[in-house]
Amino acid sequence: MKRILLLVLVCVLAVSGCGKKTRVIDLETDVAEDADFSSADLFTITEGMINSIKANGFYQLYAAQHGGEKPVMLLAESLINKTDEHIDTRLVLEKIRTQMMKENMAQFVDDQAFDMALEQLNMQATDLYDNAKAAKLGNFVGAKYILRGSISNLRKQDGRETINYMNVTLDIFEVETLLMKWTDEVEYKRASTKGKVRR
Amino acid sequence: MIFFRTPSGARCGGRQAAPPAAPGHGHITPGCRHIRKILVFAVLVTAAGCSTYTSKMEISRDFYYAGEYEQAIGSLTALIKDASDNDVCLYLLERGKTRLAWGDYDSAIVDFQEAEKRVHEIEGTFSVSEFIKTSLVSAGKMEYQPESHEKILINAYLLLAYQMKGDFEGAKVERNRTVARLEQYTDALSQEDWEKLDVPFARYLAALLYEMEGLTDDARIEYDEVAKLRPEARPASENPNLTEVVVFAEMGRAPLKISREVKGYFNDTDGNLFGFFTLPGASEPMMVSGGAVSGLSMKNSGVVFSFAFPEYVRQPRIASSCRVVIDSLEAAPVKALDNIEETAMESFKKRIGMILLKSALRTYLRTLAQTKLDDKAGGLIDILGKFYSAVETADTRSWQTLPAEIGVFRMECPPGEHEVFLNYYDEGGVPAGCSRKVRFTVVEGKKEIIYFPGPS
Repeated sequence: MKRILLLVLVCVLAVSGCGKKTRVIDLETDVAEDADFSSADLFTITEGMINSIKANGFYQLYAAQHGGEKPVMLLAESLINKTDEHIDTRLVLEKIRTQMMKENMAQFVDDQAFDMALEQLNMQATDLYDNAKAAKLGNFVGAKYILRGSISNLRKQDGRETINYMNVTLDIFEVETLLMKWTDEVEYKRASTKGKVRR
Repeated sequence: MIFFRTPSGARCGGRQAAPPAAPGHGHITPGCRHIRKILVFAVLVTAAGCSTYTSKMEISRDFYYAGEYEQAIGSLTALIKDASDNDVCLYLLERGKTRLAWGDYDSAIVDFQEAEKRVHEIEGTFSVSEFIKTSLVSAGKMEYQPESHEKILINAYLLLAYQMKGDFEGAKVERNRTVARLEQYTDALSQEDWEKLDVPFARYLAALLYEMEGLTDDARIEYDEVAKLRPEARPASENPNLTEVVVFAEMGRAPLKISREVKGYFNDTDGNLFGFFTLPGASEPMMVSGGAVSGLSMKNSGVVFSFAFPEYVRQPRIASSCRVVIDSLEAAPVKALDNIEETAMESFKKRIGMILLKSALRTYLRTLAQTKLDDKAGGLIDILGKFYSAVETADTRSWQTLPAEIGVFRMECPPGEHEVFLNYYDEGGVPAGCSRKVRFTVVEGKKEIIYFPGPS
């Protein structure tokens, strides 16, 4: 009996080492794995920037001056990446845009849909479509403000330790006047050390 | 006295024999002895078939330097498929470089980045299993760690790949990484070592990217560093708005590491030492006969002895200089920018002491396994010691698709379409062929980078 139990135990242990393991990571509580830019940083940056825009009062002031209208904004193509990492910087801007729209802070012009929209408008202007119901040319809304910024880092490598300082600076400027309506930065410095012994 | 003779009979020298070995170690039956001798013979035969990295790379390397990149990529892909985890990273560097030469920039980036990631993951770390394997089995049983100049060149070639595919943003990130690597690997060097181990090609590329971005101060700093080593390669000024073509030309093959081996077999026959050994470069084995060795028990099946170490060998060159031909006019010679062959040799010189020490340790442990440990632990240890001695080869891994030299040429040229190629010359100034022709378009106020992977 003991031998059978032992055999079963060995089999269970052997099998438990096999197969793929999947686990869900909570994005809200996720922490960075090392000193490099990580998904956890995206949340820190978005949260920090949204809180800063809210505290600045720029969009509330705009609404008060324009009969409750929300400012029309546009995203810059990407953040200026001055780091030594290949980062999808557009993702940072898009996360902020998503949050601003969710919180009803602004309207956004989709800069990346221009060609697609133009193609549709041109097609709908032909006799293939019911002209009375077709989308009309000449109603594009121009952005009054642009959200843009840059991301920089300073990295120090000392043996197995990496220290990385990262700074993300964003601003909103008025297209007509070039006046900056809001700017803020999120910065952090993180150190990570590789294990001395590897497998 | 012990006498060293070649099989043809020439006496080579001798030394004072040690007192005879203490009797009484033998406890193996004649039948077992016979089986052991067969095994010794088998491992020696097996050893002859063991290939080094340099020999495995031969076909891919020849395709690469013949400009047959597609075949080289195919051959490297097959090598990667069969490669051990220890070598994959280096094969990826070789394939990345070949893909860059072939103009498949996206795939080159994938290869370089995968290799770079692993290189920096294991950098500065220690593996117990690797230590044991490299102490007992072979120096090649550890993951390949590129030399510092090779690590810097990974980012320099990534920069080039991003720029050549038209991704200036990506190239800028690699520029930043290149500068960081240069700082990491060369800042702590003494002036003398810095002059030998710096990578001016990487600095020049970084400077050029700074210049193209309009960051002239940063460009000047890097150009000034280049000028300390290659004053003739430094441009007269930093002008981001100058319409220019910048040509990087590679020439020659990187030096190759070959395995140098001292191998031998010694047996104790009736108290007398008998055996043979081969020396690197010798055409025939040396015979040993005479006296006896103290402290070693070689009564059973003798000792297979090996001591292997790598040696860097410069490769012959077809071309030693080249001139740029733009729109059918031979413009000027390419200026020497980086002598990677020399950097590799210098870098190796700094490591050879440690390499020899580790090799000596391996030799000692294997001899021990066949003599003293054999007496205590039995035949298996003896057989393993003989096997690993017989198959011992040096670690000949190095990035072999690198050029021996890189040159630079830049010229102001009118905006529009142009054609450029290189005329190669041998050491005596005799024409030695030309490169493929490249058509390119220069936009007003911009710089166009052209890269020529070299002929051998």
